[in-house]
Amino acid sequence: MKTQALAQLPEIERADGAVVRLFNVVKVYKAGDVEVSAIKGITFNIPRQCFSMIVGPSGSGKTTLLNLIGCIDKPTQGTIFVAGQDVGTLNDNTISDFRAQRVGFIFQNFSLIPVLSAWENIEYPLMLLGVSAAERRERATRMLEAVGLSNQRNRRPNELSGGQKQRVAIARALVKGPDFVLADEPTANLDSQTGASIVDLMRRMQEEYSTTFVFSTHDPHLMSRADETFTIRDGQLVDHVFGGNQC
Amino acid sequence: MLTLKIAFRNIFRNTRRSLTTLSTIAIGVTAVLVFGAYITYIQYGVQTAAVQRTGHLQVFRNGYFNYGTAAPADWGIDRYQDALRLIREDHELKQLTAVVTPIQSLAGIAGNFENNTSKPFFGTGFVPSDRDRMKQWNEYGTGSQGLKHSGLKDNDLTQGITGTGLVRILGLCDRLHLDGCPPIPKLAARQPDPSTNALATPAPDLDDLARRDKPVGDALSQEPVIDLLAATAGGAPNVVTLRVSRVEMQTLKELDDNYVGMNIGLAQNLIYGRDEHKVSGIVVQLNRTEDLEKARARLLALSKEHGLDLEVRDFTELNAQYNQIIGMFRAIFAFISAIIAIVVLFTVTNAMGMSVVERTGEIGTSRAMGIRRQGIRKQFLTEGSLLGIMGATVGVMLAYFAAYAINHSAITWSPPGQVGRVPLRLYLIGAEWLIVITWIGLLVVSALAALIPANRAARMVVVDALRHV
Amino acid sequence: MKKYFSVLVLMAFPAFAIFMMLALRMTQVQASEQPTANEIMEGIDRVRNPGHPYRVVLALTEYVNSKPRDRDGLILYVKQDEQSRHFNNLVRFAEPPRDAGKMVLYRGTNLWFYDPNSKASIRISPQQRLIGQAAEGDVLSVNLARDYTAKIVGEEALQDADHHSRECWHLDLTAATPEAIYNHVEYWAERGTYHPIKGKFYSDSGRLLKIAYYHKYEEQAGGLRPAQVILIDAVNSNLATTIDYSDYRFQDIPESWLQRDYLPRLKPE
Repeated sequence: MKTQALAQLPEIERADGAVVRLFNVVKVYKAGDVEVSAIKGITFNIPRQCFSMIVGPSGSGKTTLLNLIGCIDKPTQGTIFVAGQDVGTLNDNTISDFRAQRVGFIFQNFSLIPVLSAWENIEYPLMLLGVSAAERRERATRMLEAVGLSNQRNRRPNELSGGQKQRVAIARALVKGPDFVLADEPTANLDSQTGASIVDLMRRMQEEYSTTFVFSTHDPHLMSRADETFTIRDGQLVDHVFGGNQC
Repeated sequence: MLTLKIAFRNIFRNTRRSLTTLSTIAIGVTAVLVFGAYITYIQYGVQTAAVQRTGHLQVFRNGYFNYGTAAPADWGIDRYQDALRLIREDHELKQLTAVVTPIQSLAGIAGNFENNTSKPFFGTGFVPSDRDRMKQWNEYGTGSQGLKHSGLKDNDLTQGITGTGLVRILGLCDRLHLDGCPPIPKLAARQPDPSTNALATPAPDLDDLARRDKPVGDALSQEPVIDLLAATAGGAPNVVTLRVSRVEMQTLKELDDNYVGMNIGLAQNLIYGRDEHKVSGIVVQLNRTEDLEKARARLLALSKEHGLDLEVRDFTELNAQYNQIIGMFRAIFAFISAIIAIVVLFTVTNAMGMSVVERTGEIGTSRAMGIRRQGIRKQFLTEGSLLGIMGATVGVMLAYFAAYAINHSAITWSPPGQVGRVPLRLYLIGAEWLIVITWIGLLVVSALAALIPANRAARMVVVDALRHV
Repeated sequence: MKKYFSVLVLMAFPAFAIFMMLALRMTQVQASEQPTANEIMEGIDRVRNPGHPYRVVLALTEYVNSKPRDRDGLILYVKQDEQSRHFNNLVRFAEPPRDAGKMVLYRGTNLWFYDPNSKASIRISPQQRLIGQAAEGDVLSVNLARDYTAKIVGEEALQDADHHSRECWHLDLTAATPEAIYNHVEYWAERGTYHPIKGKFYSDSGRLLKIAYYHKYEEQAGGLRPAQVILIDAVNSNLATTIDYSDYRFQDIPESWLQRDYLPRLKPE
């Protein structure tokens, strides 16, 4: 693995373009009367079709960074380009639509909609996009198969195990063919064996569907599978490691 | 219809809370409907009683309504038979009217001079057969009793009906077999003027003089007969005899103490005497109340056409209490509906609010998935509305049950403006507008109630919401 | 025989003629002694009204069940209106003291009551005059010649109020004008003197309302007039009133006295 010097980070461009590009991004938020600088000027790019990891101790701003990349938060300063689009300029409705089309999410708490069955959860993003019922059913069924849960299609989340729920979440994140998938500590609530199988699944999906994955994680197993690793500490990028895999 | 599906399933997620909310809405709807049906029934009953008693419209000489009761004889309709015929034979009115009949209002002094009692009276002269026909009016099937059968005959001018108070004051209770008359208290006899003790001239033999002209066999008849004294239109004192054939308790005490009802011929004899016999009004009772304005317009047109200078008044003007009673019940109904709406509002807001708080994480997730703020708002509004629809529908069904139960029970009551008890009825059949408006109303209230929590949900900051997962 | 018969006839003829003439003359005398109904009415009116504005003191006594109950002293001023022939009457209460100063004005069919305490005059409608003293006033102010057409029913012997028998013309009167208060009146007037002895007053409905007896004829104001009139209420037969007339005086009564507006300023004597 090559490491990059920390002193200054030049603009990083990949020959085939980056999915997400951050320039001098700063995020300050108020906690009560106190202002907290969560991100203090970060610049980097998330490359396409790779497993990119953002790692760092808790309180480092990992989650904030992920929120910014996922377009569910806006930077206080600086610019973020997602798929070539400056997302800082978009209003709330446009950003919501943007997310609906281009960003998939996987949460550590699975975050499935409790009143929907497995396959209804998977088709949910497609409904937001106005996809026809027939196509929805077809794609959701395929996705369900791909994650190996065809038998559980009608089960509610409270009837599924953690691993099964995360599979559904993965299927849900991918069913719309997003530009990239954001996964915040996806294996944190799973035992190591299940977690490993989940990571395998994600890798398989990434290869099959050529999707970009961006993780934040503590899981060493996951970290070992990274193509690129960005280390955050105290709101600043302190390390960037290329994985070496051609992704 | 993902929104609907999710809304529906979320309602049953917390059954206890949803059931409580639904019950509140349902009971609210039932209460409003039952009370509304009750009021409708009352309105119909009051209207029926009024229309039976005064008809739908009355035609007077122009100005009578405002000024005529002081001297009814001065305000009679000239050549009233012409006006009567005109109204009865008009082809347009013929189809609308049930009864067209003349009446004469009058006032004077009623006396039972055998026991030296007298008191002022006011009353009506009418055509007995027409009056009895008027009491058949029953458009709403309420069976109200505005009038009882008069028991009088058209060709018998000697008999009449009075209020119970009049009978009591004139000391005729025994003769009319009227119960419940307390004995007349013995007032201290007026002391004779002391100056009469020493008279300049001795008193004449008044007994003898009076007796000379007393009709034979007049002593102490046992008939309940009263004298009615009045001044004619020309100013002459006039008196007729009336045999009280029936005593009717009137609802108002003032009426009960003063009312005399008689054949119109007798009233005319008393009030007009030797002058032209007129009538103070022509009563028009229609088949259906909804034809009222049409009939009024036609009557006015007829009057104008023939240069008759008549005015037309409807039963709400003739029964001053009518609009007051209707207005009062409507106000109470509005008040109760408002209270129920507020209760439903609070209940639904509370329930939805709790739901929003519980689903904060879910809201964050959905927003992350890309649903717009508007979509979140819509979701919760839909849930509130769904609660409203379900609750209102159950409420309507409960109302039908309640109406059925009460209508087939033996509960009776005594409505205002009526004598005697009638069965209590709820008029839900035929009051469809009431049901629809109430249903829609409470649905709207539920949706509005959900609006506040829905807005709160929509305005949630995504990253904060996600922290609650 | 034939000779005697013809002489008899010749002699009888003038006798017969004389007899006829005498008979005719007698009937003529009788005819001139029998007045028409109108003449009787006018005679009655002359007895009741002196023909000149006058004033008279009245003592009214009310009887209930033949026992006296109330006594009022009044002064009555009467003047006949030139044009309408109505009698306008002004009554001033003199006794008892609580009523002193009150006045009642009759103008034709209108009646006003004036109270000196409030200085206000109010019109009493015919409706309000059905019972009470105002009703008596109606009887007294009946104007026979003006308001009634008369028919002679016959001649009767009638007992007056003092149980004396009088030979009377019995008149039947029907209202001729709308102002006639009573639709039908029966009158008994003494033959020759035209003194009214008895009157019966009927309503439009044909009921007997009042009976009047006139007696105690005395020389007053240029003629014999009744010093007492007895009024009996035929509807409420417990009630009767006697009216004693005294101190008749001709008096010029100014027109202003008989105006309603002038009542507050009126100081008759």
